[in-house]
Parts: sequence; structure tokens; C-alpha cells
Amino acid sequence: MKALLVRAILAAVAAVAFSPASAQNNTTALPPYVPAYEPRTVDERGQWMEADEDERTLRDSPLVIRDEALNAYVKRVLCSTVGQDRCQGVRIYIVEVPALNASMRPNGAMVVWTGLLLRVRSEAELGAVLGHEFAHFELRHTLNAFKRARSTTDVLAWLSVLGGISNTDTSMNRLLLIGSFYRFSRDQEKEADLLSLKYLAASSYPTIAASQIWQHMMEEADATAAGRKQKSHHRYSAGFFDDHPTDLNRAVYLAEAASKAKGGNDPATAGYQAGIAKFLPLFLADQIKLNDFGGTEYLLGQLASAAGWTGDLLFARAEMYRMRGNPRDLVSAAQFYSDAIKAGYTAPEARRGLGLSLMRSGQVTEAKSALTEYLRLRPDASDAKAIAALLAY
Amino acid sequence: MLRWMCSGLAAVALLFAVPAIAQEKTGNKPGFSLRPGTVHIILMRPTIKVGAQSTGGMFEPNADWTAQARQNIAQALNEAQTSMGNQVTTYEEGESGEGPVASQYAHLFGALADSVIEYQFFRGNRLPTKVRKGTFDWSIGSGVTNLKSLAGADYALFINTYDAYGSTGRKALQIVGLLGGIPVTSGVHWGHAGLIDLKTGELVWLNADRQMGGDVRTPEGAQKRVRELLEGFPGRPTQPAVQASK
Repeated sequence: MKALLVRAILAAVAAVAFSPASAQNNTTALPPYVPAYEPRTVDERGQWMEADEDERTLRDSPLVIRDEALNAYVKRVLCSTVGQDRCQGVRIYIVEVPALNASMRPNGAMVVWTGLLLRVRSEAELGAVLGHEFAHFELRHTLNAFKRARSTTDVLAWLSVLGGISNTDTSMNRLLLIGSFYRFSRDQEKEADLLSLKYLAASSYPTIAASQIWQHMMEEADATAAGRKQKSHHRYSAGFFDDHPTDLNRAVYLAEAASKAKGGNDPATAGYQAGIAKFLPLFLADQIKLNDFGGTEYLLGQLASAAGWTGDLLFARAEMYRMRGNPRDLVSAAQFYSDAIKAGYTAPEARRGLGLSLMRSGQVTEAKSALTEYLRLRPDASDAKAIAALLAY
Repeated sequence: MLRWMCSGLAAVALLFAVPAIAQEKTGNKPGFSLRPGTVHIILMRPTIKVGAQSTGGMFEPNADWTAQARQNIAQALNEAQTSMGNQVTTYEEGESGEGPVASQYAHLFGALADSVIEYQFFRGNRLPTKVRKGTFDWSIGSGVTNLKSLAGADYALFINTYDAYGSTGRKALQIVGLLGGIPVTSGVHWGHAGLIDLKTGELVWLNADRQMGGDVRTPEGAQKRVRELLEGFPGRPTQPAVQASK
């Protein structure tokens, strides 16, 4: 009896743990992006219902950037990547979060974080990420992951009960199952990466952009670690609980795939810079608040190497140095504020930063003239009283 | 994507948990009372979620059941409104554009109700600030007083329900567990109903139960659920059924 139970347990574990990611992918005939698609199965309808509810909340969120031009631009890059027939039904929500991420709901709602827009360097790189998210949608990955999680926890529950009754140690089997779920998740991510590369190959963008994102991410991680006096590691194999392949792994297999299908020639770097120009100051302001000196210096340097040290970049750099606030940082900050003003940065906040940096460096006369100028340009500033008090001192 | 896995794992971990017993279900702000026919209460759009509970304990959302429950509960609430002792009207966003904020408040109320259950109704877990006898000090914040679409009303009635019906697999697991002496729970049925004072944002009455009756997928079950949700509703005439039959 006990032997039978144990055998049943092992068979169930094997059935769930070793079924591949793509085998569960034929729930319905039509792809979900066809116009007015209606989900078919009970599970898919349930997932769409929850996604619809989430999307309503998301739509009304104060963090969503509603600027028409920016939204239209990101949508255009998506359409250029995956094709007009696929992209039409997708709703894109640009959310003000300063980290590199994007996600896709099973019902075709796409979330793009502003940190992604700050980090990618061309339309091709943005398209690679948007294409990856779209691939999750086209391949019904949320639904499949839900089913996989359910079958995994079903077997886990039976293992707990049957193992308890038969007094059998099932801990290794349970560990195997949990590990298999994360491996499944990594397989889906790789599948989406490779489908995104196929979209890129058929577009005007070069496919190598998909690999470059991960190279840049590793460089930024190195810079962040160096800024925090930490060691940086890049592993090739994923950890047990990793739900995505490692950055290094992605960079390698995407470069390999890109060498076989090159795609177009134009990554549209200049077009990308123009597309997000209006929002660059906001993205930078959010980024410097992360208190990631090394990583932000790296990002600013990259942006400057593409477009030169513009007023926006100089101002952001000045603010970051002033925030760190070592005596030497204040000297650098004052210099960057002055450079920003020289480079044509017109917002009065540059005078404010310049004045405060100089004040703390002991250059009171110059500081007061900069702060007076700030108050003249922005008399209704929220900190006007505090600045006036500083001037009177 | 991993939240189901986490909730599933948590559910498996809780497989053997003993259900909480002797827990309080209703709270009233001390000194709060309503006389019938004196105030205007607005009934907010209920948040309703219905699905199944998988063998491993995960929530499986079900669109059909949720749609049925939404209709049945709305119907049952309509019928109940007449016997609640005060003027009760359903929330209308009107031209205020406050629908999204109102739905955020509905979710905030849900979080508040969960906190009350966790830290006041459950004696073993009561917070030091909530232990004094006769204390019922909870609020969703005074911001709700600024909502134009709620102007002129005295109280808002919030209702949340969450149902996960035990699947066949879950029931089988329960039976096998029973044979082996391992307790497995099947089905989750939560409901909250609460009254918020629109002049302060304070919670003045809460009825919260994590083992509610009534199958919300049927009209009769939804009526039973609404009856249980509104049990002890303040300001209700003492014996409306008897008076009506005379």
C-alpha cells in the first residue's frame, strides 16, 4: 500500500515537473490579439476578468503619464516592431516608476515603466522589450503560468496529505516541483525573447538591439555596485528561484539568434531621443532620487555620449552631486549648475541649486545673487519663504 | 506572475492550520446609534469576486460566477434597502468624475475591514491600542468628506464579498485528509459590510465574517448572503417582519 502511494506520488511529480513550457500552449485556435477577441475557456475568461478589473484601476492611476504625443510615440514603436495587424488592440500605460521594466496583462494591456524609457537608447531597443511583452500576450503566457502554478500546487497538496498519511518523506519531491515551476517561468521568458527577436527580424530595426539592452543592464549593474563599494557578479546560469534567465544568459542567446536573423539597419537612435525629449527631465528627476550614484553617473554618461552634455543632463548631474553633499560634491554641483545655465537650461531651479551649493561652500555673496535671481524668476515658489529667510540671514 | 504560486504555496503551508474559533464578527463605535428614518445612507458599488479553490488552495477566478453574483447581490440589496430603516440610495457618480476615487475607497474599506478582523476581532492578535474595553477606533481618513458625489449623505455603506468554492479536487483532498486525520479546509467565503460616517471618515459599524453562508451564484443564496451581511445593521426597525405581517 505504501509502495503504491509512493509510486503514485512520483508519477504525479514527474508528470508536472517535466512537462515543457510550450506543450500547454494550444488552448484555443485564434491568437488573442485578433479584433474583439473573446476569451474561450473558463480559465482564460477568469484571467481576462481579473485583468479587466486591474486595468480599470490602472487607467485611473495618478502614476500613469497621459501625454498624448508620448503615448502615440511608444505605440508607434510597438507597431513598427510587431506589425500593424498585431498591435492595434494593445493599450499601453506608461507608469512613472524609475526602473527598467514592462509587463503585459493577458487581456492586452501593456504597462511600460518610465525607467525603461530612460534606459533604452533607440527605437530598436524599446521595440525589443515591447515585442517581448507582446510575445507573452500572443503566446498566452499568463494563462499558461496560472495553469502551471495550479497543477504544481495541486500535486504539492497531494504530496503533503499522502506523504503525511503514509509517513513518507516527500521533501525532495516537493523541492523538485517548486524548482520546476521557476524553470517553467524562465523557459517562457526565453520563448518570449526569441519571438520578440523574430518580430524585430521582420521590422526595420536591427535584431542585435535585443542583446545590447542586457549588455547595458550589466554595465549599469557594475557601475551601481562600484558606487556602493560592492562586488558585481554576472552569472550565466539562473538561480533556483529565478523567474527570468540571467542578464548574461539573455545577452548571449539573443546575440547568437541575432547573428542568424539580422533584421533592418536603422535602430532609430535620433528618432528615439526626439521621441522622449519632452519627458527626459522628469525621467532624470525620478532617477536621481534613487540614491544610486554610480548607476546614475553611468546612465548620464551614456546619454551624454549620444547627445552631448545638454542642459537637462547637466542639471540632473548637478542635483545628484548636491544631494550627496560632500564638500567636494558641492563644488562640482555648482560647476554643473553654471554649465547647465550656460548650455541654455532656463528653469529657475538651476539658480536655486547653484545658490544653495555655493551657500554651503561658503561663497555667500555669489550664493545670494543666484538665490535672488531664483526668487525674481519664481516668486511663487513653494520654498520662497525659506529662501527669503536665507537671503536675510 | 508569481503571485499565484506564492498564494498557492502559502495555501499549502496553511493546509493544516486550525481554523480560528471564538472570533468576534461585529463591531460598533461606542455610543453610536441610529434612529430609524433620520439619516441618508449611500450604498457604494459592492466589490465582488467569485471563483473556485483549486486542490492546492489557489484562487481560480470565474467570470460567469462573478457576473451572476454581481447581479444576484445587487437584486438582493435592492430588496433589502426598503427594510433598512433609513433612506438608502445607490451611489451615483453623476458628473463629478469621482467614480475611480470612489472605487479606491471601496478597496480601502476592504483593507480596513481586514485590519479590524485581524487586529481587533481576533482576540489573540489584538493590537495594544485596541485592547481597551469599548474601543472601536478605525477610520478610512477624512479625505472621503471631500467627495462631491457623496455630498448631502450622512453615511456610506460599503460591501465586499470574496468566494472561492472548493473544487472537486479540493473536496477529494479534504476527504482523503479526513481519513488520514489531516484537516484540510475547502472553500473560502469572506464578506464585509461597514458603515462609514461621511462627516469624519470613521468606521461606525462593521460586520465581517470569514465563514459566510449563502451561495451568491443563485438568487436565493445571494438573499441569504445579504441578510447575513446586514445582520445587526444600525437603525433598522426592531421587528420589521412581525410588523409587516400584522
